[in-house]
Amino acid sequence: MSSRVKWAIAILLFALAVALPQLISSAYIVRLMILTLMNAMMAMAFVMGLRAGLLNISLAGFWGIGAYTTGMIATKTDLPVWSALPISVVVAVAVSIIVGLILLRGSALSFIIGSLVVAFIVPLVFGTFDFFEGYVGIIGISPPEAIPLGSGAAIRFASEPSFFYLLLALSVAVMLVFLALYRSWAGRAWLALGLSPDLAQTVAINPYRYRLAVFAVSSGAVAVLGFFFAVYSSVLQPSVFDAFKSIYIQMYAVLGGIAFPFAGPLLGAAVLTILPEALRLVGDFEPIVTGALIIVIVVLMPQGILGLLSGRRAKDMTEFMVALGRKPGAPARGDETAAEVDGEAEAQDETRR
Amino acid sequence: MGLVYSLMSAGFNLVLAAANIIFIAFGQFYMIGAFSVWYLETYAHAPYWAAVIVAAIATGILGAICYPIVFRRLQFTKQQFLTNIIAGVGLMLILGQAALLIFGTTSRGVPSPFSGTYEIGGVRIPQERLVVIILAVAVLLALNFFLQKTRPGRAMRAVSFSSDVASLQGVNADRMFMISMVIGCALAGFSGAIMAPLFGVDVTMGASGLLVMLVVTLGGIGSMPGGILGGILLGLMLSFGQYYVGGGEAQILFFALIFVVLIFRPQGLLGQKGQGGLPGQPGQ
Repeated sequence: MSSRVKWAIAILLFALAVALPQLISSAYIVRLMILTLMNAMMAMAFVMGLRAGLLNISLAGFWGIGAYTTGMIATKTDLPVWSALPISVVVAVAVSIIVGLILLRGSALSFIIGSLVVAFIVPLVFGTFDFFEGYVGIIGISPPEAIPLGSGAAIRFASEPSFFYLLLALSVAVMLVFLALYRSWAGRAWLALGLSPDLAQTVAINPYRYRLAVFAVSSGAVAVLGFFFAVYSSVLQPSVFDAFKSIYIQMYAVLGGIAFPFAGPLLGAAVLTILPEALRLVGDFEPIVTGALIIVIVVLMPQGILGLLSGRRAKDMTEFMVALGRKPGAPARGDETAAEVDGEAEAQDETRR
Repeated sequence: MGLVYSLMSAGFNLVLAAANIIFIAFGQFYMIGAFSVWYLETYAHAPYWAAVIVAAIATGILGAICYPIVFRRLQFTKQQFLTNIIAGVGLMLILGQAALLIFGTTSRGVPSPFSGTYEIGGVRIPQERLVVIILAVAVLLALNFFLQKTRPGRAMRAVSFSSDVASLQGVNADRMFMISMVIGCALAGFSGAIMAPLFGVDVTMGASGLLVMLVVTLGGIGSMPGGILGGILLGLMLSFGQYYVGGGEAQILFFALIFVVLIFRPQGLLGQKGQGGLPGQPGQ
């Protein structure tokens, strides 16, 4: 698909997202749309880390940090609620840099497990200390102040559609930042690191520094969503931000197809947000059916839905991500990455000229 | 109690190092082990020893069923952690909910065959706890013997070092993954079985599988002695911390300890540099 077609589809989707809450009167469906978009955005942050070779399972923790920062500001200080947005991002980025400095020193495997450890600590800290209101959680977070439009009119945040538009605006901003980053020198350095850290180092890309950057940026992005979640739900409980949420984020990304940094998470989150709702019919067996479906999906098509649809022809974006879902029995584990990198570098040069 | 964590982390380490699976559903096998002991003692009136052995074998068989169905196809792909974590979560959902449906939420006690206490140097130790300690140490020693001295054990270590090179030497890597999975799951079930008389049995036991991951991180990924040390440290910190500062704070202290250790030794307390990573991954 050429990039022009992609932009056309993106704009079409955006228009559809703007129009849908007006056409649908059911608050329940708008709520599902909000959850889907929020989950998809977090999965996009996950894919960002994955492009740099980081399997980061701590994102829900940073989501929680953003949400709790907002909650504390809204309930315990007199600052305007809007000011919580930048403050949440700054807090999450600061924490992620400290954590990243420690975790990124070990091997890939120790980073995975280390980030899982972070995912466990964060809700535990929120639940244990009275400062964060313990397991009862923060209650009564006021929605952000209305935005005056002049002549008495204002955008107020009260109904489900208004929150959906707030999330949509934040999401589009975050997505544009992601896109700009992917196209920048840093984004290409991340991709190089994901392809082959050794080769990337030979062209003077410092893995430690660039991975720290990707860790911080993705944490900041989920903190934006944390802000949204805090003002949207108005109640925060530690159990929402537990490690399972992080693993679910990973599922959204993998189900959609990790080779597709924007479309994949959107599709995956849509399926996995709506599926458990649809499965309520089976009652108590819902987790069993969901679990079985997850296994079937990941075992039969590790390249994700979009990866399956596009086959091996997905030339653009990140071809190596498609290669991640290689069929069993095929040669694996780095023995051909060198050749792939060469080929991809040439292909990228071609398109650039 | 730490020794039981040691035992479980030995199993988790085995699956992680040999088969390269981050086995999230590990805690569920611990729970299943405990439940099978409870079931056998209450309904089949089996003697305690037989129940423990049957529980270990049953979880081992369950692991043997899970591996070919769930994990084999993911095994030789490039970013297998990405997919096998997810598969593990799926398995965890299934096993956890199945246990909930079958056994309900009530907590159950398992009668222990030992009731007396021993006095060693002025310290009073309940007999049942002593039995747990002896059993755990015995199994750890047996596991060590198996890995160091027997042929399949050596093959397993070779596979965990590099499955490609081991395959060149005529080791069936896939079968080794299978065996390590069976042993790992059996260890989890065994831990659950010997813990059942001490703490009772309920469906939330599966959550302790997550603590095992922390123990492994602390001790060093792929390092058996590290896992044992980490397990003992966790047990001590949780029981002393519960007494002095409270349960949640004790866990946070343990997390803080992990982070302090990771600052100075990124590979964990007793881990070796360059172990536990994949080729072409960071930190190699």
